[in-house]
Amino acid sequence: MSEENWIEVGSTDSIEEEDLIRFDHQDKTFCVYRLTDGFYATDGICTHEAVHLEDGLVMDDEIECPMHQGIFNIKSGEALSPPACEDLKTYPVKVDNDKIFIKIG
Amino acid sequence: MKNNIIILGGGQAGIYAAREIRQNDSKSNIKILGEENLLPYERPPLSKDYLLDKKNEEDLYFHSSDVLKNENIEFENISINKVDFENKKLSAKNYNVYSYDSLLISTGSENKKLSLDNNLMNDVYYLRNLEEAKKIKEIVSNKNKITIIGGGFIGLEIASSLSQLQKKVIVIEIGNQLMGRIIPKKIADLVQNTHIEHGNEIILNKQIEKITKKNGIYEILLNDNSLIETDFIIAGIGSTPAVKLFENTNLKLDNGIVTNQFCETSIKDVYAAGDISNFYHPLYERSMRLESYQHAQNHGICAGKNIAGIKTEYTSIPWMWSDQFNLNLQLTGICDDYDEIIERGNDINNGVIYFFLKNNKIRGACGVGIVGKIGRDIRITSKLIEKNTIVDKQILSDQNQKLNKLIQR
Ligand SMILES: Cc1cc2nc3c(=O)[nH]c(=O)nc-3n(C[C@H](O)[C@H](O)[C@H](O)COP(=O)(O)OP(=O)(O)OC[C@H]3O[C@@H](n4cnc5c(N)ncnc54)[C@H](O)[C@@H]3O)c2cc1C
Ligand code: FES
Repeated sequence: MSEENWIEVGSTDSIEEEDLIRFDHQDKTFCVYRLTDGFYATDGICTHEAVHLEDGLVMDDEIECPMHQGIFNIKSGEALSPPACEDLKTYPVKVDNDKIFIKIG
Repeated sequence: MKNNIIILGGGQAGIYAAREIRQNDSKSNIKILGEENLLPYERPPLSKDYLLDKKNEEDLYFHSSDVLKNENIEFENISINKVDFENKKLSAKNYNVYSYDSLLISTGSENKKLSLDNNLMNDVYYLRNLEEAKKIKEIVSNKNKITIIGGGFIGLEIASSLSQLQKKVIVIEIGNQLMGRIIPKKIADLVQNTHIEHGNEIILNKQIEKITKKNGIYEILLNDNSLIETDFIIAGIGSTPAVKLFENTNLKLDNGIVTNQFCETSIKDVYAAGDISNFYHPLYERSMRLESYQHAQNHGICAGKNIAGIKTEYTSIPWMWSDQFNLNLQLTGICDDYDEIIERGNDINNGVIYFFLKNNKIRGACGVGIVGKIGRDIRITSKLIEKNTIVDKQILSDQNQKLNKLIQR
């Protein structure tokens, strides 16, 4: 694992608990979540249609798409409820000195 | 005990019911009888991404034939034309007879047809199924000026798609606003403006007097004597539950098949779910019939549980969406029984939501906005309705305050 792959997202206090922020890097969009047990990251766009999940609702370990209520598990990316049927990509996250990093690529 | 379970109607409610039954009952025979020669598929894309070529036929199926095979769910392509509830038998035109111990009726809805007094009945197209969507897609590819009769959700979605395909689109609506009176006028107007900005022509308050055809071009005469020339006509003037099959039986009908909160009809061992069912909703303490994706799924699942012997009340909060251009409209709960209306937001970019309250509790809400802008608030609203929460109206009306503050944990 090379160090370069870890991209800094921001400080840990930039996300409220049970919430998320959008993070754009190069031409990709990610969502970074703060759940009760830590930070997680997924692709930022729903797998059903091209909608930003940043406007979705985080409930427990799930993110609900704001467009058609497709639901994904934030930790595994699994598509849990139609019309979403394709899983969401997830990314490793680490916290270092109150800063959040995600590993892309 | 091994039962014969038949699901009449192979649409969304039917497939979800079948799989739910199987999850709880590994022994019974489960057979879906569907008159479309297609495995159950999603209808929402038919008026949107399918017309736009962003989704193709394969993308529409809920499940592959492998899933059905693995779960031992049989699908037979057959149209049932007779039901004998007394002897628990269904029969088809080809004299095939199907006996059941439990029956789920999920025959969905049918499009209302325009009554035209000349022989142009077959010249007007309707959209309910994949076959019709295919035909429309094929024909519009070499037409230019297209008229949609009816400014409801489906008509407007087709209008949006055809406009995106660079067609000149005219929508003729009999009422004084789009999408019917249940939608707040302001929301209807915002949607109308978006259509107009994209070049669609919207004609309200007009009725069709006559349609004639000359040299392959249609002339539509309206009741103010104006004349519209058009290359192709699609009508979306509403739908009715597909109950013809049951009209001369003792199955209780009233705006669909009457069911209780357990998806049970007036006849023992006969259940109904999805568009076809006028069901009792215990939270609203009244009956309602819904035509929506989420309802077809959840109602099918609930029927499946009850058929499998797990007595389950249906309490889902109604929810539906419509996508037109870059707008997403959503409705939750019921919006026709209220003593107060509260508005949140006032421009399409940030989203506009109308909340319908009764005794300080939200009964329903309708919102529209650029894609993504209202979904979270509508979803939270559904939860507030479900929990019967007394809400702080100040927070509801202030878009700068997050609605999840209102959820009591
Ligand atoms: C064009 C279109 C766009 C839509 N867009 C949206 C949307 O954006 N959002 C939303 O929430 N909802 C939308 N809906 C509504 C949603 O798709 C329906 O509510 C849902 O499909 C209903 O499911 P159902 O199982 O009750 O009926 P259906 O899915 O209609 O299935 C019924 C099936 O039963 C079959 N059948 C009927 N009679 C017989 C018989 N005698 N013998 C054998 N088979 C029979 C029919 O052929 C059909 O295949 C849309 C619907 C349409 C048509
Ligand atoms: S766009 Fe996310 S569920 Fe449809």
